[in-house]
Amino acid sequence: MITETISKYSYINKSIPRIDSIDKVAGSLLYLTDLKLENALYAYTFRSKVAHGKINAIYTEDAEKVNGVKAVLTYKDIPAMNGYGAIVPEIPVLAYDKVRYYGEPLALVAAETQEAALEALNRIKVDITPLPVVRSIDEALDENAPKIHEKGNIARHTVVRKGDVEKARSSAYIVLERIYETPMQKHMFLEPEGGVAFVDEEGVINVLAGGQTPYRDRIQISRVLGIPPEKIRVKNTPTGGAFGGKDDITVQIHLALLAYKTKRPVKLVWSREESGIAGFHRTASKIKLRTSVDRNGYLLSNEATIYLDSGAYQSFGPTILDVSIETINGPYRIPNYVIDANLVYTNNGIASAFRGFGAPESNFAIESMMNELADELKLDPIDLRLKNILKTGEVGPFDNKIRHAEGLEEALKRAKELFYRPDPTGPFQRTGVGIAVAVKGVGFGTLPEYPTAAIEIVPEGRVNIMFSNVDYGQGINTGNAQLVAEKLQIPVSQINVLHSDTKFAPDTGGSSASRSTFNAGNALLLACEKALSELKMEAASYFMTKSDLVTYKDGYFYFKDKGVSIYELAKRLRLKGKSTRFEATLEVPRYAEAVEGTLEVPHMVYMYGVIITKVVVDELLGKIKPREVDFIADIGNVINPAIAAGQIEGGIIQGLGYSLIEELNYDKDGKPLNINYTTYVVPVISDSPLINVEFIKSYEELGPFGAKGVGEISIIPVGASVADAVTDAIGKRSYKLPLLPWRII
Amino acid sequence: MEVTVSFNLNGKKVSVTAPPAKSLLRVLREDLGITSVKPGCEAGECGACSVLLDGQVVTSCLVMISQVEGKNVLTVEGLQKDGELDPLQKAFIEEGATQCGYCTPGFIIAAKGLLNENPNPTDEEILEGVSGNICRCGAYPRIFNAIKKVVKKNGV
Repeated sequence: MITETISKYSYINKSIPRIDSIDKVAGSLLYLTDLKLENALYAYTFRSKVAHGKINAIYTEDAEKVNGVKAVLTYKDIPAMNGYGAIVPEIPVLAYDKVRYYGEPLALVAAETQEAALEALNRIKVDITPLPVVRSIDEALDENAPKIHEKGNIARHTVVRKGDVEKARSSAYIVLERIYETPMQKHMFLEPEGGVAFVDEEGVINVLAGGQTPYRDRIQISRVLGIPPEKIRVKNTPTGGAFGGKDDITVQIHLALLAYKTKRPVKLVWSREESGIAGFHRTASKIKLRTSVDRNGYLLSNEATIYLDSGAYQSFGPTILDVSIETINGPYRIPNYVIDANLVYTNNGIASAFRGFGAPESNFAIESMMNELADELKLDPIDLRLKNILKTGEVGPFDNKIRHAEGLEEALKRAKELFYRPDPTGPFQRTGVGIAVAVKGVGFGTLPEYPTAAIEIVPEGRVNIMFSNVDYGQGINTGNAQLVAEKLQIPVSQINVLHSDTKFAPDTGGSSASRSTFNAGNALLLACEKALSELKMEAASYFMTKSDLVTYKDGYFYFKDKGVSIYELAKRLRLKGKSTRFEATLEVPRYAEAVEGTLEVPHMVYMYGVIITKVVVDELLGKIKPREVDFIADIGNVINPAIAAGQIEGGIIQGLGYSLIEELNYDKDGKPLNINYTTYVVPVISDSPLINVEFIKSYEELGPFGAKGVGEISIIPVGASVADAVTDAIGKRSYKLPLLPWRII
Repeated sequence: MEVTVSFNLNGKKVSVTAPPAKSLLRVLREDLGITSVKPGCEAGECGACSVLLDGQVVTSCLVMISQVEGKNVLTVEGLQKDGELDPLQKAFIEEGATQCGYCTPGFIIAAKGLLNENPNPTDEEILEGVSGNICRCGAYPRIFNAIKKVVKKNGV
């Protein structure tokens, strides 16, 4: 653990409380679904009860007649493009020719009262001819499968290869071939999708809804309404949990459309069940792996066929597929590989971003494979990994030069001390220990990213910092405030965060891919440098000297024995009519070109993690209780150890849910079966194991004060480590998550 | 049909007129401006709308307003005394027990109810006491530490 005493920094490496925590414990933080606008209409969504079908007609006349109804909208009412989607805009805002999943929106209703809106919803009738339903990857791949889209059921297919796998395999000592499967996981954030919208005096459509990427939301709304982005404002904060599930559009376009059409304030919040039916989920995966090693345990080849279930449309599917490609080789030196990656359409809702973004899926496969190979080789699983991990300076599997992999080696060595089977504490108990290693890129890899952030020195004595990334619980507000405090050497209490609102913050991108500290942090530091440079000249003018004779410390510029504060200088700038707001854009360090067949592979900066999971298995019931989890992370320099550890712990607990109990299921007609907390059970506090988080001392020069990222790393290796621990306990290996009792006994 | 119900909300007498089956959660949010109670599921499963009803922890989504006549309702808005945060609120801040914060008021109320009944719960009793509340961010280890911190202070 990084201790605060050894730190040379004043404001980072410090576990200060979240700057928004007083409002959170006092209950005074107003989430966007808490907002009550005067004169607001109640809005609801009419959804398909058929998972796959041809739309013949939608009848809204009876609904429109209900007293108090102000709008009943269908696809015919969409002013411009009827489509959205973070990567490919193919998801209909309102379905028009076909429905492709149960719960797909067909119409929107807005009315003066809740009763009128619900009555109108009841009166909408649809004529849909049902089509056969595709419920799984296997069904989608069947040559006789009904086509969900005209082009068929493969949304994306790509092959990435290196070396000669046939040759490598033929000389191998051991070749293992296995199929791994992981389930659809629901985000189950506590605050369902929702928000409000209104048109202000200037004619700007304001959309205030929980989300992750305000500027992309704004562009997506703009395309549908056919109005310029400047006429739209999107605010995404505060948000009651997101985890990727609010990264693409949920209610934002529907809200904007209703406010635009009715010219009235509108509130639209999904019920828990609607969130369960129509909200996003994690891609299910089926991964065939054939991996070979030599007699000494060095990996020779890896052949992967990856199938990810995108559901009815592609949201982030193509880039999720990329991350699954990038992580299927783990952090290992594998000279020969073929990765055949497929994104598949089914009628299972819509899969989208979920913490880890394709990495947990691939990690379960490759790390389970590594554990089984260690068994076959009769090698310690940590030694097997130590032999095969890529070292700093080596060329990685995607021709990327590996930066700073020392942390992974150190983490594995530390893991040796923690890797032991615990003793049973009761009858009919078997215990086991398991391990897995995780690697995940920070940010969007080779995709161009130019995040802009700003700071404003306010003469009244505070510094506003502005970025568009959303703090939905990760703590980036606090972390970024600490970074700016460190740079300007001023207390965090003088910093005021204005974020996640296109009205105040420049486009720094959104919160995803563990990128917010790296991108917003770096851009903010650049903005600080601009501010300091400008203020230094103003200080020189104040002191009647030259700027190179002026020094800076703790919020003051000095010349000889005289000092002047940044706020005093800001006041002077303001009097001169100059701006005290400083904006800067970062060119995110990246490789110039993506590996052929991918959009964003490889990344330049990787986070690493090693997890050790200790479980107790009830011999009679097959129930698995995770008892202790150790996580050793290399996330670069740690800005706020308590918040970072909280991210690691939270990811582990979500990962344990994914590994042990969580699985979204659909019935034979494509209707989702578990759509609320009663039927889709998530971990509660008594399910939480003892968690020990340790940080490797590490510094990534490309990051802000050496930081990388943290949000996703811990969820990634949980599945493989739990499966390995269960194998250790009961002697039987599992290849499918979640590890439900009837699957393991 | 509507009924008029009077009760004590955070120590102050309030009176509302609403349909008798309207949930306490909806009345608090829509009629009385109390937004710390969150509609996470409206089925009594997530605990985000927890309040103390005559000192007992209940999920306010499952309580009908007509059942509240003459009772005392406490939400986190009523925990501060003379502007000073409750020890549980302070402990949640110090231990980093909030992430997105949406579940936080419900957890604090559930912990308050637990400690009212049992000021010195064992670790198991703490876990059981707040197992009706969900934190999807997974702040559980820190929520436990926060409650434990207050228990330790009580014990001294």
